Amino acid sequence: MQKIKQDEKRVLVIGGGVGGIKAALDLSESRKKVLLIDSDYAIGGLMTQLDRTFPTNNCDLCTVSPHLSAASREKFLEVSTMTELTSLSGEAGNFTATLKTAPRFIDIDKCTACGECLKKFPEAVRFNPGLDPRAPTCMRYPQATPYAYSIDMEKVDDVEALKAVCKAGAIIPDDTEQETQINVASVVLSVGAEMFDPSVLDNYGGGKFDNVLPGLEYERIMSASGPFQGNLVRKSDQQRPKKVAWIQCVGSRGINVDDVPYCSSVCCMYALKEAIVTKERFGDDIETTIFYMDMRTSGKDYEQYFNRAKEDFGIRLIRCKPHTVIELPDKSLEITYAREELSAMEKEEFDMVVLSTGFRPSQKTIDLAGAIGIDLNEHNFAKSGTIDPVTTSKDGVYVCGVFESPKDIPETMVQASAAASLAGMTLDSEEWVNEPVSLYPPQRDVDGEAPKIGFFVVDCDGEIDQALDIDKILENAKTNPDVAVAEAFKLSCSFEAMEKIEGLIKEHNLNRVVIGSGSPRIQESMFQDMLRRAGLNPYLLELVNLRDQNAWVHNDAPAKSLEKAFRLVQMGISGVRKAKPLTENMLPTSQNALVVGGGVTGMTSALELADQGTLTYLVEKAPVLGGQALNLSQTIEGDDVAAFVKGLVDKVSAHENIKVFTDAVVAEHTGVPGKFTTGIKTGADSACEQIDHGVTILATGAKPNRPAVYGLGELDNVMTQLDLDAVLENDESKIKAMEQVVMIQCAGSREADNPNCSRICCQAAVKNALRLLEVNPDIEVFVLYRDMRTYGFWEDYYKTARDKGVKFIRFDLEHRPVVREEAGKTIVRAHDFILGQDIEIEADCVALSTGFVADADTNNELCSLFHLPKTEDGFFLEDHVKLKPVDMALHGFFLAGTAHSPKVIRESITQAHAVAGRARTMLANKEITLGAAYATVDPVMCAVCLICVRACPYDVPFINNERHSEIDPAKCRGCGICAAECPAKAIQLRAWEDDQIIAKIDGLFERYN
Amino acid sequence: MITAEQKPLQEILGYIAPYEKILVVGCNECVTVCAAGGRKEVGLLSSAIRLNSAKAGKKIEVLEHTLERQCDPEYVDQLAELAGQVDAVVSLACGCGIQTVASQYPIPVFPGVNTKFMGASESQGIWAERCMGCGDCMLGITGGICPIARCSKSIMNGPCGGSVNGKCEISPDVDCAWQLIWDRLVELGLQDRYEELVAAKDWRPAGGGGPRKIIREDLASSKIITEDNA
Amino acid sequence: MDNFEPEIVAFCCHYCGYTAADMAGTRRISYPSNVKIIRVPCTGKVDAIHLMKALEKGADGVYIAACLEGDCHFKDGNLRAVAHVEKIKKTLEDLGWEPERVAMMNFSAAMGQQFAQAAEEFTEKIKALGPSPASQATSKAV
Repeated sequence: MQKIKQDEKRVLVIGGGVGGIKAALDLSESRKKVLLIDSDYAIGGLMTQLDRTFPTNNCDLCTVSPHLSAASREKFLEVSTMTELTSLSGEAGNFTATLKTAPRFIDIDKCTACGECLKKFPEAVRFNPGLDPRAPTCMRYPQATPYAYSIDMEKVDDVEALKAVCKAGAIIPDDTEQETQINVASVVLSVGAEMFDPSVLDNYGGGKFDNVLPGLEYERIMSASGPFQGNLVRKSDQQRPKKVAWIQCVGSRGINVDDVPYCSSVCCMYALKEAIVTKERFGDDIETTIFYMDMRTSGKDYEQYFNRAKEDFGIRLIRCKPHTVIELPDKSLEITYAREELSAMEKEEFDMVVLSTGFRPSQKTIDLAGAIGIDLNEHNFAKSGTIDPVTTSKDGVYVCGVFESPKDIPETMVQASAAASLAGMTLDSEEWVNEPVSLYPPQRDVDGEAPKIGFFVVDCDGEIDQALDIDKILENAKTNPDVAVAEAFKLSCSFEAMEKIEGLIKEHNLNRVVIGSGSPRIQESMFQDMLRRAGLNPYLLELVNLRDQNAWVHNDAPAKSLEKAFRLVQMGISGVRKAKPLTENMLPTSQNALVVGGGVTGMTSALELADQGTLTYLVEKAPVLGGQALNLSQTIEGDDVAAFVKGLVDKVSAHENIKVFTDAVVAEHTGVPGKFTTGIKTGADSACEQIDHGVTILATGAKPNRPAVYGLGELDNVMTQLDLDAVLENDESKIKAMEQVVMIQCAGSREADNPNCSRICCQAAVKNALRLLEVNPDIEVFVLYRDMRTYGFWEDYYKTARDKGVKFIRFDLEHRPVVREEAGKTIVRAHDFILGQDIEIEADCVALSTGFVADADTNNELCSLFHLPKTEDGFFLEDHVKLKPVDMALHGFFLAGTAHSPKVIRESITQAHAVAGRARTMLANKEITLGAAYATVDPVMCAVCLICVRACPYDVPFINNERHSEIDPAKCRGCGICAAECPAKAIQLRAWEDDQIIAKIDGLFERYN
Repeated sequence: MITAEQKPLQEILGYIAPYEKILVVGCNECVTVCAAGGRKEVGLLSSAIRLNSAKAGKKIEVLEHTLERQCDPEYVDQLAELAGQVDAVVSLACGCGIQTVASQYPIPVFPGVNTKFMGASESQGIWAERCMGCGDCMLGITGGICPIARCSKSIMNGPCGGSVNGKCEISPDVDCAWQLIWDRLVELGLQDRYEELVAAKDWRPAGGGGPRKIIREDLASSKIITEDNA
Repeated sequence: MDNFEPEIVAFCCHYCGYTAADMAGTRRISYPSNVKIIRVPCTGKVDAIHLMKALEKGADGVYIAACLEGDCHFKDGNLRAVAHVEKIKKTLEDLGWEPERVAMMNFSAAMGQQFAQAAEEFTEKIKALGPSPASQATSKAV
């Protein structure tokens, strides 16, 4: 039976997918109370079903989990599964939410996921270990993913027999639906969407032919934990396919009855990913072909991913949406398609066909929106703010992830942080208390004492006891002279057992502890907390994994298993002798923030931090605030950008918590995360003003590109889209006089010297084309493009433009348009693939879509000043491109807006909120721990060879003025690579020192030596 | 820096076969930097010797020690106690270090590394020969690229007829030093230098005149030493 | 040597190898108890000396279980581990030992089944090779 706490006001996060988890973690890290609910019986969402995710082609979900101790996690975050919201009343800051929790018939607190019930009642028991297939291992977050079964009581015929099977007594046969009312400050909706079911279409054979399957199912087949253990085989004959085809936009970007008009934004990348992973794993044995309409790889560095797919992996790309798929007698599939340049249909045989299907809001989501009272857009996604996309039509209700619009994981993470940040503003952070000081007694100094070890087996409801004779293990451990106490606690790892051990530690004056229990990955922090409570340093501890790596895996050989237990315990005892008390690097953080860059992004972040009481320094290079938005008149949605920017500037300038520096740059920088000092130089030659700050936000933007292509800068009628925007805004008469306008896309982008896509240009061209037609309906607009990348709902504008007669003509790098001036006329020559010949257009205006490039000078300066990494094309590089898209690798630095990569205003604003929220997670804790496991150098032994300097994956070691290598504990990540590579053995990784590892080896073989 | 490379294990094992107690000595200077004879290599070689003794069914004791520098007698003095406990020493220093150790202790001292050349680090794990110690540096007239160490024939007025597309005829992986010299002189705008013939090199300072020695009168003067001591 | 039970040490990285081993446990997939796991933060932390020490002390086989290539949580630690394993294989070959006594394996955190299977196969392989010279020497010494 789940009981939801009712006594406090919280943020309610609905949806336990990756976005909801991220929003809930951000809020709890900011010391704000949050309840995460999900209608499923375990959280995890869609991401957990994917084999690997782009662009990193791995999972990495574990990197999301915060470094909160279990105690503080419990304090701020509650998770309730099988729970739905039924109504929401009241108003922002003070809602009442009514929640309905379905019966699980299992007591989560008692269930140990031992599996007995599943064995006996396989039909009735659901077990999805949190993040099937990866968790609970990957999501190191036991409370968040109830590690428990659930029962489908309707399928149980003998309830008593089921009860008898459960040794933990966790079965609750009379569990009932619970209704709870809670007080909610704000709501974050992260409910996602379903994947389109292609079986409703009659031309591709989805759901009908064995070897036609949607992308998600293909991922399950590729997955090691999937139906074929990671073997890629056809469903029909279990044979490995030789030819696999992907068909893009299945059910998307269409006009047929079962199609939706919008673009799902992720399918191009996931098809490329699936094809790449197929190639990586099966090499040349499998031919991969993708049928597509436009390749929409417009995310950060995604174009390079696309190029690798083509060039390095030899993935075949055919620009065409195939007509039909038919099944041949041997269950192979024949695709009929037409190439753009050929008039005839072609037929080709494939062994497997993957349908790239997109997102569809589910009926449940639509109903939920009704219950909450928010508007939906015409596609049944949440109607979000045009300029502020995580806001909904209802105050106090925020949205993130796919429910806002189709998007990938990195963008979902950004929106989740943004929504969490805004939702959290109505709720104060819990007062910060110095937890170690307030919760724990002072640590006993054990220096110089001979090892006095306590060995405790902490079992969980007989998990270990059933397989191993614990008494014998204790007896064996006691033969060791250093072991002063050896006891077992067979009930569970309950508080009671913990208290008893704490008592024994004190009573016997123990100075080292070895625990035999479950995996240290899950339990180490719990037992470290126990040591702290007992007044011992938490690093004087060694965990022996008697359960997961012994009791559970050697059922077939009990005698050998016991022998192994003796040896593992001996290893732990031997290792703990060498353990040293270690201090975690704790640092009080400065509560101020520095925001570099006074554009829309920087101003938005600054305002959000300042509103929550953070003194924020905003530094802008130009004499006025506003950045690139000053050059833009309106968004594609029709928002007045100038008015919006003016509003921001006024608010920022008047805010008591914001100190604005214009015509200023950062010039000096020292300090460690949480405590930086930076010098700001204003004007030409004045001295630096030194400011203290705990966090730094980089919002320095990017530069509009002006490449010398297609006559730009030479021919009068050739301009950029930004120039055209200015004409549209200021000189309508000029537009009215125009007869033909040509737009050329990818001018200076997606070329060898600037390989990435600028993301904004396709919508900019469509926007300006529509604006031209509004001013002058007779104007003929031609858009010369390579791939139209109007992702998400911008597809609607693209369609409107086509309907209004804008002509879209494709070109490729072999057939670039040519712009020339002849007899005072500007003529554009282009190749028409459909006609198969060149055409010439006389243009009154040629508008080049030139996009953004990195502001190389600014970024180079800041990167060398702050020691931050950059991407190949000069933008800042985030910590994790997928899961930490606005955090930088260096703790305390955050990244937002076009300094991250080209993006439109609403996307920059989302990142601005996200970084403000991420910055709050650091500031709310007043102190940060830098961990204890960092590498240290023995200056006497160091040979100054540079091997560590070159080997460190994070470029941390350097040779200092005292002529030896030095490793900054604040920057060290604790991998220990330098320690292993050091030829002088001068480097040790604390907590994992060589003598500790060798002592473990010694312990393991002690009976011999 | 002096570079070295570990000797084939079997050769080392052959040297020490008759002995039962061995001291493996590393050096914390050049051979540590080129990963041939630092503490880590001492540990690895010692382990290998122990594994070998297990296979041979023989009990060998191996002690490990690494000196700050093996080519200075004062540092080598620190071995006195350990050297007294063993039958033989394997030194992982360059030839200079090995000889210094051998000169100070009356037990067999065997080389554990082959001393290779004076080289520079190109990147992690790669060292390349840059100097042969000819005793009369001509880098000043060759654009900073040494034809003695980097030309296969050490010729003074190159290139020879074996230079093909900038590579030496001995291997397509070896740059023609004279091509490098020419490119560098062009870069510096000093092509005229190339036209000047270099006279035949006097190889006496290179060792042609017998074992070489440097004596710094100001440092080595017995007078100063005496005064200091006095 | 029919009843020979080899001693096997597996250095497993916290993020993947060790997690895969735990996963085998969670799913109750059995593997030989001969395998004893030592946890390390990253397999790039496993010094070649540690591999040698394990053999010296009496291990009949040693392996490193790392993240899948490309998935290392510290960028390239697992590739460094490969290099360390290759180096020690070469040393063993020079000594006339079977280089197969040292091995490199890669698992994702979810690959419990594969972890157990690999542990089984490695144990079988070492059984076939027989006791290592060092473990023979040490057992004689008892």
